[in-house]
Amino acid sequence: MERVVVIGGGGAGTAAATITKRLNPALKVSVFTEFSDIAYSPCGIPFVHGREIEKFEDLFLSTVQRYEEDGLDMRRETVVTDIDLARRTITTKNQPEGFDQLILCTGFFWEQPDVPGANLDGLHYVKDIRKSMEFDKQLESMKRIVVVGAGPVGVEMAGGLARRGLQVDLVDEGPWVLHEILDPDVAKPVHDSLQARGVTLHLGTKVESFEGDSDGHVRAVTTSGGVLECDAVVTGLHKVPNTKLAEIAGLKLGTTGAVVVDDHMRTSAPGVWAAGDVVEIPHGLNMIPIVGLTGAHAYAQGRVAAVNITGGDLAYDPVWVPWGMVAGDYTIGGFSMGENLAKSIGIPYVLAKGVGITKARYYPGAEKTFVKLLAEPDTLRLIGGVIHGGEGVKERCDFLAFAAKRGATLHDLAYMENIYSPPIGALFEPIQIAAQNGLAEQRSKRLAVAT
Amino acid sequence: MSSLSEVRRNLRKRSEQHLRLAVLSELGRGQPSTVEPYKPKGGRLWSALFVALYRRVPWSAKEKAMGALGMTAQGWKAPERRPGEPWRPPPELAEKASAAQAQAQAKHGDS
Repeated sequence: MERVVVIGGGGAGTAAATITKRLNPALKVSVFTEFSDIAYSPCGIPFVHGREIEKFEDLFLSTVQRYEEDGLDMRRETVVTDIDLARRTITTKNQPEGFDQLILCTGFFWEQPDVPGANLDGLHYVKDIRKSMEFDKQLESMKRIVVVGAGPVGVEMAGGLARRGLQVDLVDEGPWVLHEILDPDVAKPVHDSLQARGVTLHLGTKVESFEGDSDGHVRAVTTSGGVLECDAVVTGLHKVPNTKLAEIAGLKLGTTGAVVVDDHMRTSAPGVWAAGDVVEIPHGLNMIPIVGLTGAHAYAQGRVAAVNITGGDLAYDPVWVPWGMVAGDYTIGGFSMGENLAKSIGIPYVLAKGVGITKARYYPGAEKTFVKLLAEPDTLRLIGGVIHGGEGVKERCDFLAFAAKRGATLHDLAYMENIYSPPIGALFEPIQIAAQNGLAEQRSKRLAVAT
Repeated sequence: MSSLSEVRRNLRKRSEQHLRLAVLSELGRGQPSTVEPYKPKGGRLWSALFVALYRRVPWSAKEKAMGALGMTAQGWKAPERRPGEPWRPPPELAEKASAAQAQAQAKHGDS
């Protein structure tokens, strides 16, 4: 019987394993994971800490028994220490195990702060659900937490812990929270919302060291702006692809440091596939490889690998990265890139901005939604955008990412059809309003040049 | 990791860091609730020379340079983006669809 070995039990690994087995039940599919749990949503962890979700058990999507019943060979708490591509074996517990096809889904680890004291107890990384359960119990006796890094997970943790009643200091070197994805014109409502929950922001501030007590537990964070006392530190810096095994196997790594794959999820070695946070994927606009995508991307990549391993021919598209989240109580999102990133890379763009409402203006609960679209100056093709405020941010960002991928222009969006139903949508769609405004601005610019 | 790929990786990391830092200061200026980003010591050459030079080069030339330096993805199809055209299936699916249509027409013609 041909054997497929999957290393990693996160979104990409479970998708790759279950779909491979479903598509070809004759294959033996083994999943190796160093953790005791699989198939849970780590993205939900901040919301359990914040008491928005009652318990960690709610984050599990399925059970190990269910996977075993489906015919998967589950190897939990089993660390893979070596890959020998010539012999087609992996090594676990000093024993070789053979494979015919290998799918590497080893995910990521969090970047560690590169300052003294980073190895103290009490620095928590949001990833492993068991460690988070333990941390949650410790939080019961804590009062003050410092969150280092105002990226998505740092912002969610800060908002959640403050909601729970803890005193939270959020520290970041950037000039506003989420500065790697968010534009500065959205900073104020996001900051206001976090501060309303009780988060104290320390922006433009560098962490210089962590100070511990005699037991080696963190008690304070020294920053460029002063010392912050704390009972624990939550770190939310960058995701770093976990390429240890890929490097052992001699797989090609790219400019992000992640594993290079083609659009079928094939690595540089025959019969070795990779998916999820361990790989880099090109951005659809410029084909520059990127990392740090979402669980939804990881799952979809695992599915593509599974289809191709079982004889299919399925390509994964370059990504247009729709994203969205709630910062404090304020909804933000975007796709592809905002002004911040476009300007950094040097991609020329014109703006189309508009403000709409989420329901009919007379319907209770109608809120403002702000839309900013970026388009290529000559063709007015959509290249990115940021949306914030109210309901429907996620759906609009998903739609716009798809529209951009298919080459939609401001003209297309300005005359798009939309649903008008008072409880769920206003007469004028906010995206339409932004695109109309953008076209009007381009017309007036042309007129000004002509006269 | 080979030294060439390490060079590419470091080049990307350093250039992104300094390009971003320059833009954060510019875009954030005057925006409510923002502050100046923390500026690490060193890297003056990057911020003074590289950032200034990079910004002078047109995007089309930058794109070509990135491709030549191996900074863009290989083994991937460039996205289909022809503005103004209606959506079409990807080429390989289109070929299959037209082959199936031709087969159906031939069959219809035979009967």
